[in-house]
Amino acid sequence: MRLHEYEAKEIFSKYGITIQQGGLAKTPKEAQNIAINLGKPVIIKSQVLVGGRGKVGGIRIVEDLNEVEIVADEVLKTEIKGYKPEGVLVLEKVEIKKEIYLGITIDRTSGIPTIMICSEGGVEIEKVAHSYPEKIFKFPVINPLQNIYAYQLVSAVKKIGLTGKALIETVNIIVKLYKVFKEYDGLIAEINPLVITEDERILCVDAVLQVDDSALFRHPELDKRKLDAMSERDKRLMRKGTTFVKLKGNIGLICSGAGLAMSTMDMIKDYSLLSPANFLETGGGITSDLMVDCMELVLEQPGIKAIFLNLYGGINPIHEGAKGVAKVIRERKLNIPIVAKALGNRQEETWKTLEEVGVHIIKESETQKAVELLAKLLGVKK
Amino acid sequence: MSILINKNTKILVQGITGNIGATQTKYMLKEGAKVVAGVTPGKGGQKVESVPVFDTVEEAVSRFKVDVSVLFVPARVAKDSVIEAINAGIKVVALITEHTPVHDVMEMKAYALQKKAILIGPTTPGIITPGECKIGILPANMFCPGPVGIISRSGTLAYEVAANLCAIGIGQSTVVGMGADRVAGTNLTDILKLFNEDKETKVVVIVGEIGGTQEEDAAEYIRVEMSKPIVAYIAGASVPPGKRMGHAGAIIEGGKGSAKSKIESLLAAGTKVADRLYEIPSLAKGLIS
Repeated sequence: MRLHEYEAKEIFSKYGITIQQGGLAKTPKEAQNIAINLGKPVIIKSQVLVGGRGKVGGIRIVEDLNEVEIVADEVLKTEIKGYKPEGVLVLEKVEIKKEIYLGITIDRTSGIPTIMICSEGGVEIEKVAHSYPEKIFKFPVINPLQNIYAYQLVSAVKKIGLTGKALIETVNIIVKLYKVFKEYDGLIAEINPLVITEDERILCVDAVLQVDDSALFRHPELDKRKLDAMSERDKRLMRKGTTFVKLKGNIGLICSGAGLAMSTMDMIKDYSLLSPANFLETGGGITSDLMVDCMELVLEQPGIKAIFLNLYGGINPIHEGAKGVAKVIRERKLNIPIVAKALGNRQEETWKTLEEVGVHIIKESETQKAVELLAKLLGVKK
Repeated sequence: MSILINKNTKILVQGITGNIGATQTKYMLKEGAKVVAGVTPGKGGQKVESVPVFDTVEEAVSRFKVDVSVLFVPARVAKDSVIEAINAGIKVVALITEHTPVHDVMEMKAYALQKKAILIGPTTPGIITPGECKIGILPANMFCPGPVGIISRSGTLAYEVAANLCAIGIGQSTVVGMGADRVAGTNLTDILKLFNEDKETKVVVIVGEIGGTQEEDAAEYIRVEMSKPIVAYIAGASVPPGKRMGHAGAIIEGGKGSAKSKIESLLAAGTKVADRLYEIPSLAKGLIS
C-alpha cells in the first residue's frame, strides 16, 4: 500500500523529520487560507498516487497569494493519469541550495534493509541511477535484528560530500527514517529530495512510504483506509489472497499460482491473435464462492473470447472450486469456450463437475496442450 | 540419497489442528512421511490422525526426535513459530504460510542464519523426495523418483515440471519449493549447493521467475562451482514491466530482475535455458547420461 505524500509526511514529521510548513487542502478556499497563514509564495502539489505529476501540471508554484485559490481549483480538478487528486498540499516555497536523495528499501536476495543515498537528488534520480550508478551509495543494515545507530552512518554520509551540521543532521534523519521504515513495515521509505535550503535548513520536500500489505494487521488505521476504498468483492478476494491485474487481452485467465499464471501467459502470447485479458492468481484459499467471484471478475472485462483455467490441487481444494465455476456457467448460460487443466488432489471429481457444464478438460500435465486446445477451439494458429 | 528429507526424516507439524494443517498432515502420512508430532498452543493432548499434539515445540522435541518442522500457522504468528522451532534445535524449517510480513521474514532469515538452521519459505509448497517423504502441500501424484533435482520459485510450476518429466519417464531426487515472497529464507544458490553434493542428483532444473536477482546470483555459483548440468526456465517473459504479478517477488524494477537479464546470466554460465515450460523435459533428458 502506497501512502499519499501528505500521509507519509505526517508520519515522517511525527518521527522528528522536518518538513515544509503548510498543509493539506480539500477545497480552493482551504488552500487560500493555508497560503495566507504562511504569508509567502507557495507550492501547490496534487495528492495522487502516480509518479511524474510535476510534468502534467500536478505541481505549481504560486508567487502571488491572490492567485492561490484559482490555481488550487485547477489542480484539484485535474485528473492525473486517470486519477482524481485527494486534495492538494499547500507548502511554503523554499530556496534550494542542494538536493539529496535518501531511500531505504529491501535487498531481496540478502533479505536485508538497504539505505541508499546520493548527492544528486530530485526528479532525475532514476536517470542518475542508470547513467552514474557509482553516485548512489548503498549501505546494507548489517543485522535486521538490531536497530541502527547514528555512528554507523557518519562515514557513509561523508561520502556524498556533506560536512558539519548538514552531515550530522542528515545522519539523524536517516536514523529516524529507518525507524519509520521498521515500525511501519515499509517496503520503501524515501525522501527525494531532502533539501538543504539557502537559509541552511534541512527539509523533507517529497516523501514516499510504501507499506507491506501483508503487515496491515499491525496498522489498523491504514488497513481501514485501504478497505474503505474497496468494493465488497475486492475485499473478499483480498482476504483470500487473490491477485488480479488487468491486461487488455481477449483470454480470461484464472490460475492457482503466480508462476503458473505467468508461464501460461507466455504460452498464450505465442499466438499472435491471443493475449491474456488479465492476470489472476487465486492464492491458496480456493472455495466454491471464491471461484464464483473470480469468474465474474474475469467476465466483466470487455472482449473476452474464452476462459482458461489452470489449477493445481495442492493446498487448494480444486473440487470445491470447480463447483463455483460450474455455477457461474449454468447461471449465466455461458457459451464461450472454457478450457481447464486441473490436476492434483481430487482431480477426478473436479473433472466430472466441469465436464458436466461443457468445460473442455485437459487431463495431462502440460499446460501447452491446453493452450493448443484453446487455440484450436478459437480457430487461431501461431 | 536426496537432499533435506528422506524416508527416515522425523517430522513435526506446527499448526497441525487447523483446517489446512490437519488435511495436509493426512496427505503427508498417506505418502509415508513420518509425522511424529504436532504443535498447536492450547490444543496439547489432542490427536490429529493419531499424531499427538503438544502445546509447545519444546515439549514435542523432549518426547520425540524431530529432524524437520513444517508450519501451517497463521501469518501473524509465523515469526514466533519459526523462532520457536529454531530455538528447540530443529535445523530444517519449512514455512508454508502465505502473506507473512516481509519485515518478519527478514528477522527469521537473520535468526536462522545465526543459528545455522535452514528456513525454507515462506509461501513454499514444501519439499518432496518422491517415494520417500514429503513435507508441505505438494500433490504427490505429480512426482516420481529419479535423478533430477528441481528448485522452483513457484509452487505450481514445480508440480507441472515434475509431472511433465514423469510423463517421459524421468523422475526426481528431491523437489524444493523456494517460496516466492519478496525475501526467501533460503536462496536458490543455497539449494544448488546441496544438489551439487548429492550423489543421486544427476541434473538440476531451476524454475525461476521475473523479479529479484536470485537467478543472476545462482548463475555466478553455477559458473564457478557447479559440477552438474542445469536446465533453467524463467516464467514471465511476456509480463509487461511495472505490473505487480501476485507474489511480492514478481515485480520488474528497472532492467534488473527481467527475464532477459536472468536468461543471459544463466546462458553465460553454461546452463541450458528452456524458453517455454514444455521444453524442459527434452532438455533434461538430453543431459542425463
